[in-house]
Amino acid sequence: MLNYIIRRLAIGSVTLLMITFVVYGLIRNMPGTPLTVDLAESSPDKQISAEELKRRAEIYGLDKPWYVAYWKWAGNVLQGNLGRSIQEKQPVMRVIMPRIGPTLLLSVTSLALSYLLAVPLGLYGSARSGRLDERTTSVFMFMLYSFPSFVAALLLLNLFYVKLDGTLFHLKPGMVSDNYPQLTMGGKVLDVFKHSILPVFCYTYGSLAYYSRFVKANMEEVIRQDYMRTARAKGLSPLTVLVKHGFRNTMIPFVTMLGLTLPGLLSGSVILEEIFSWPGMGRLFFSAITTRDYEVIMTEILIYTLMTLAGQLVADILYAFVDPRVTYS
Amino acid sequence: MAPADRPTTVGPAAAAARVPVKGRGYWAETWLRFRRRRLPMAALCFVALLGLIALLSPCLAGTKPIVCRYKGELYFPALGYFNPRWENPVFMKDRFYKIYPKNLKKKDPESWAIWPVFYADPYRRVRDGEWEDRKGHQIYADPNWNNWFGTNQAGVDVLAQMIHGTRIALLVGFVSTSVAAVIGILLGAVAGYFGGLADMLVSRVVELVMCVPAIILILTLLAILDKPTIWHMMAMLGLTGWTGIARLTRGEFLKLRQAEFVTAARALGVGWLRIILRHILPNAMAPVLVPISFGIASAILTEAGLSLLGFGAPPPNPSWGTLLNSGKQNLQMWWLIVFPGVAIFLTVLSYNLIGEGLQESTDPRLREAGK
Repeated sequence: MLNYIIRRLAIGSVTLLMITFVVYGLIRNMPGTPLTVDLAESSPDKQISAEELKRRAEIYGLDKPWYVAYWKWAGNVLQGNLGRSIQEKQPVMRVIMPRIGPTLLLSVTSLALSYLLAVPLGLYGSARSGRLDERTTSVFMFMLYSFPSFVAALLLLNLFYVKLDGTLFHLKPGMVSDNYPQLTMGGKVLDVFKHSILPVFCYTYGSLAYYSRFVKANMEEVIRQDYMRTARAKGLSPLTVLVKHGFRNTMIPFVTMLGLTLPGLLSGSVILEEIFSWPGMGRLFFSAITTRDYEVIMTEILIYTLMTLAGQLVADILYAFVDPRVTYS
Repeated sequence: MAPADRPTTVGPAAAAARVPVKGRGYWAETWLRFRRRRLPMAALCFVALLGLIALLSPCLAGTKPIVCRYKGELYFPALGYFNPRWENPVFMKDRFYKIYPKNLKKKDPESWAIWPVFYADPYRRVRDGEWEDRKGHQIYADPNWNNWFGTNQAGVDVLAQMIHGTRIALLVGFVSTSVAAVIGILLGAVAGYFGGLADMLVSRVVELVMCVPAIILILTLLAILDKPTIWHMMAMLGLTGWTGIARLTRGEFLKLRQAEFVTAARALGVGWLRIILRHILPNAMAPVLVPISFGIASAILTEAGLSLLGFGAPPPNPSWGTLLNSGKQNLQMWWLIVFPGVAIFLTVLSYNLIGEGLQESTDPRLREAGK
């Protein structure tokens, strides 16, 4: 097992190195640098001289070709220095940290909700397979799965933000109201809760539909097995058969799925966060791309890649736990 | 592609002697199974309908005549909607300024023309009196008799944009997924057929691409270009969307390279390229169509999402996502959200249904069960 983990870690670090190298090359080749994009936006009387520009480029390491600058960046990262955001004029860590909370708030809530609801839904589907009520739910779930979340987001905003303005159900985009600092503790929680209803809904329904179909598809294989018939024949209750004998045997694909969702927890959704003006990681990435904030882009890519690799590794290790037949020695 | 009647497995000679009738080929079998499913077939019909709308878009909505006779010659100015260069230069020379009805009559009283069903342009606002004495399009108009789906903030008819947007949606789906399919099938085939080092290299590259979320990668790639067009976006979608196809092709090739007919071909001295293309690929294609179909759906979704963020085709291009983008900026105008939203939903749903149907009709376990 230890050998396996070490080998996986070695492969993973090579992957990490390659991805960051390629992405670094890509973003350094975007037209414009953070300095010039910044300049283009400020008024002409604030123009700085060529020498000043050169001096700043030197500070940020923009004077060197990207394949040289990459190694400097990688070295800094290894020493725990993620660099500075040129836009925010702050260390990248300080720019990213406040964004993690809001993104996690959405992704963890939605993940928990969709798993909690998907398992019973999937089991219900496999128990009533082929009946009218199951067919109806299943078609509905398939449609839900195909419904684009950004369209749902816009429709919900049109309804709750515009049409229901002035009523009790009025919901606004953003994470907090303007008067947030003046609210009491309970008021603050309520405020964030109210703002997160719509985004959490849009985050959840698609994956809920997907997971419940996933659970059902896996159950369908298990349900045909002989041991299921045996369990029923010896008089176990249908629920016990379904959960203890059926569902527990579908844990492997389920665990893989959990591993694959890990990176999504932190990456956030660029589109949904943009629509809801949610101050999370996805929105930060979007603005970093438009302002060419290299170090911020790199840090986010680094985080996604690390999470993806970690997710795959965790899933593979968990296999051995949920299925004693799987060993890595 | 293999002809439908080609037998795909060579059974033992004795069995072949007992059954002289040529069996149905893999493709015919798959199609037979697919045809039995109602929803996927309905979805296929819907996609065909969309294709028809896309092809006929200049005849359905536009301000340029489909056919007109002008100064003794026949012209087809509506073709300009497919490619601006196909609009006959004579109208540019005669200073039509894209306003056809009045100018045709004024400059040649003998002229006649066949007009599109809806006199509305997907690129610009129709002005007062352009079409006989009818009033022009208002800005921010609700759905009404003149503009069935309303107009946007610039007074451009939404229905016309939707009709012409169908072209972009279908193109995005097909072109980007074709790019993805070519890359994915090629790499997957090489990895699966040769195994060893080739397999390891391809698997690493697949891992590399899969590690970064697609939308992040596409945003980064698009930002590199100075003026990204819709074609660039299709290329980017293709370059990031091939991993699923490659993995599945690899799996199929791993399985099929052990098959007897491949060994037979190899023994006959057939070259590897020919074995891959003529012997294995036709048999691996049907399962590979499944991720392709889902890939088209996700390409259309991603394009719409990017256009919604404003990263899509430049503004005058009538894409469904661009309509959503103006809906995002004018949330109270529900018709800018509902109509393109429903169109995207139905298209994505159709491709997903087709993928699902293909999956069921190519699944060997279900095949054996005779379902």
